[in-house]
Amino acid sequence: MRSVLIWILLLCGVCFTSCNRSEAERASILKVYNWADYIDPTLLDEFETWYEEHTGEKVEVVYQLFDINEIMLAKIERGKEDFDLACPSEYIIERMLRHDLILPIDKSVIPDSINYFGNVSPYIVDVFDKIDGYGKNANDYAVGYMWGTTGLLYNTRYVSEDDVRSWSSVWDEKFRDKLLVKDAFRDVYSPLLMYENHEAILNGTVSRDSLMYDASDESIAKVEKLLKKMKRNVAGWEADFGKEIMTKEKAWLNLTWSGDAVWAIDEAAAVGVELDYTVPEEGSNVWFDGWVIPRYAKNKKAAIYFINFMCKPENAIRNMEEIGYVSVVGTPEILEYVEESAIEYGFEEPLDLSYFFEGADSVVADPVLYHDRAVIERCAMMHDSGPRTEQLLEMWTRVKGDNLNNGMVIFILVVFGSLLVVGLIRRSRKRKQMRRL
Amino acid sequence: MKKFFAQTYLWLLLTMLYAPIVIIAIFSFTEAKVLGNWTGFSTKLYTSLFSGGVHHSLLSAIENTLIIALVAAVISTILGSIAAIGIHNLRGRKRQVINTLNNIPMLNPDIITGISLFLLFVSLGITQGYTTVILAHVAFCTPYVVLCVMPRLQQMNPNIYEAALDLGATPMQALRKVIIPEIKAGMISGFILAFTLSIDDFAVTIFTIGTDGLETLSTYIYADARKGGLTPELRPLSTIIFAAVLFLLIVINVRTYRSQKQKEVKL
Amino acid sequence: MKWLFKLFTKRSSWSIPYFIFLLMMVVLPLILIFFYAFQDEQTGAFTFKYFEKFISNPEAANTFVYSIGIAIITTIACIVLGYPAAYILSNRSLCRSKVMVILFILPMWINILVRTLATVALFDFMKFPLGETALIFGMVYNFLPFMIYPIYNTMQKMDHSYIEAAQDLGASPVRVFFKVVFPLSMPGVMSGIMMVFMPTISTFAIAELLTMNNIKLFGTTIQENINNGMWNYGAALSLIMLVIIFVTDLFSDSDEDRASNEGGII
Repeated sequence: MRSVLIWILLLCGVCFTSCNRSEAERASILKVYNWADYIDPTLLDEFETWYEEHTGEKVEVVYQLFDINEIMLAKIERGKEDFDLACPSEYIIERMLRHDLILPIDKSVIPDSINYFGNVSPYIVDVFDKIDGYGKNANDYAVGYMWGTTGLLYNTRYVSEDDVRSWSSVWDEKFRDKLLVKDAFRDVYSPLLMYENHEAILNGTVSRDSLMYDASDESIAKVEKLLKKMKRNVAGWEADFGKEIMTKEKAWLNLTWSGDAVWAIDEAAAVGVELDYTVPEEGSNVWFDGWVIPRYAKNKKAAIYFINFMCKPENAIRNMEEIGYVSVVGTPEILEYVEESAIEYGFEEPLDLSYFFEGADSVVADPVLYHDRAVIERCAMMHDSGPRTEQLLEMWTRVKGDNLNNGMVIFILVVFGSLLVVGLIRRSRKRKQMRRL
Repeated sequence: MKKFFAQTYLWLLLTMLYAPIVIIAIFSFTEAKVLGNWTGFSTKLYTSLFSGGVHHSLLSAIENTLIIALVAAVISTILGSIAAIGIHNLRGRKRQVINTLNNIPMLNPDIITGISLFLLFVSLGITQGYTTVILAHVAFCTPYVVLCVMPRLQQMNPNIYEAALDLGATPMQALRKVIIPEIKAGMISGFILAFTLSIDDFAVTIFTIGTDGLETLSTYIYADARKGGLTPELRPLSTIIFAAVLFLLIVINVRTYRSQKQKEVKL
Repeated sequence: MKWLFKLFTKRSSWSIPYFIFLLMMVVLPLILIFFYAFQDEQTGAFTFKYFEKFISNPEAANTFVYSIGIAIITTIACIVLGYPAAYILSNRSLCRSKVMVILFILPMWINILVRTLATVALFDFMKFPLGETALIFGMVYNFLPFMIYPIYNTMQKMDHSYIEAAQDLGASPVRVFFKVVFPLSMPGVMSGIMMVFMPTISTFAIAELLTMNNIKLFGTTIQENINNGMWNYGAALSLIMLVIIFVTDLFSDSDEDRASNEGGII
């Protein structure tokens, strides 16, 4: 009995000491903070060997997941977590740039022979130039990873193509309790803002780009009205389970990201459910996720190598196959892969993708993955709303959070009231008894 | 007649309570990815649960859960038993104070315990990981151990200990030969309680687990659940856990039942 | 050296390590909650700002009230369903087997998330829509054992001579129940309420799973704020929750004997 105890205590001791990592050990660890289901997991192991091959140093990838941008930001900004790499969306990159939360990426660290940073499509580089980092250029601080649009995923059995031509479908009575909405306020706010200003955009009085900076009280109030109309249709606010519910046909419409849509369409097709995705005509936002090195990173070198590794065309293709999102890499190898797989799936209509691939003004591609130039032209990139974020968030929680109704309030009052009455009656009875005694 | 109604009522409630578990257990024997589709009998999920492969993260989560629960339970059993002996010999104010403090972790909802410990670790600048999770688990398990051991001490005849000392035993010997055998049953049930509480815990763990990639079963399930689907391998796992708990509880109860009977016979 | 030895051999001082541990791991963290709740995030100065925010922010306050409502409904449903069950279980003439009791307590030992997911699976299976009703069903399902067990416990320990006396004196069964059994079982009902009401308000993750994120309870609000890095506001909300616990705890005044009652938990 005693020896067993001593043995267990020893075990505890070993466990405690082994858990406190020393500085030297930390140097051989790469802490990556990424979205859930956002990478081909075998690439992580491969990176470890590839890194050792090219630098002679060992590295172990510690891989952490988040599903909401703001949570990731809080961990880094408030918690000062020492992640070496994170993969935020464009407006968070913008905010991190403004708040000095990310370190510049020195691309020249990588030898030319294995340097893949140049593979990123010029379209993405241009868009990153538009990120407003108060004088800092996002291209020096971030490298794109995946991109896509926000749109509507719909079940073709219950929803027709005409239904989803406009954003107004989300408050169509036909779809009561059949709508899922991505729990990301900007991705809902900006398309509806475009809906609200559709005419002004067509007139040319407002440009889409300038709209994406608009978080005025007036605009927020307008969108809130639309959202409250939409709320009656909402079956759920999804962070990640939209694909599952859509596949089960428990919801028919899902306001979501194109990458999630690709995955859902694939999974649904496997069980005989037909889904499709569209960007309504009023326009929408186009988003980008990119790799950044947070300020408290401790293994910058491995981080740069990792980003570079992700830009290698073969790896980009593997990621795309695994997760369904579209990589920012725009080399001919990718184009070839895109065309081949599109033909294999039976797509025929040629699209104009010259904005992304050089010279590709008429190629066959999956329109959910790579949108035609016409679709991209009605999309714009979101910006960080700075101090206005709070107002936006408040509006969002007002729309989302309020389940309290009068019935419930009355019910609570009745319960507490009766408790009080019972208590009072008891007390008076006790007093009477005392008096009698 | 009355008995019939009573029994029917009980069985109805039990059916309600167990329906979900039974469904999970039944569908653990089919391969379908989505729960509710029956694609024929198969034990593939059970084999793939143990063969690792893609789900090695699930296996490592199970491993972490067990290690944390074991270490936390051992520490809290030792700490709690020693404390119980101490408290038993305290009188008056002091005893009341420590009893009140001992009650706090049991009264607090998990989320408060979790957040308060999170704030503690953050403000002390301790990196969260294995150590913090174990400390947190010890913090909320020990009070229960104390509660399990105390009644045994109260039942014990205090004179035996004094007698042992009078007969020339050192305090250590008296402890080993007299007190520990008396409270052993309480310690064992305290250990088991602490172990199960630790395995079960979710709210405290998620606030103290940090970001070093450590995952326990409940945080794994939580991450999985947020995606809306249960990884199919979790179905056999839940079934196994359920069967194990059932077995353990029956064993314990049969044991206590027997020992009670023995005592009655002796008396 | 000698006083150290003496200190060690004196058995009452054996509670000292645990006392220190409690101070470090229970008292200090609770003080920290106070500290954070009244501290301004930026300046570090003393402030009531977060409580003002709670009152002026309809979302958090409404969620709070709404959670209380849901918790009351759940608690009442648990009492209505659980009390008869506990009564039957403790009554020797109605139920003899001890196995039944174990079967009722058993779900308490299964991970709450697994149980919730199983419930979601059940609703899925039965094509029952997820929403408010599903939430209440799920909560009742999750917490019913926590209501049955304490009531069963007190009923079992009840002194049967009272009941017999009442019967001998000619009271009808209904009268016996309301005048003797029910009042005597009140401590059990009280601790049952504590064990159902508080967790219903404070659990997070469960409500979201049962309603597809459509309904939040107060626990989720707290967790979200902590997760989003708003520690001070989260701490303030936790403090509000602590006050509620304190208030409900005042209602149940059986603190003293709980310690001795719960000796044999399994």
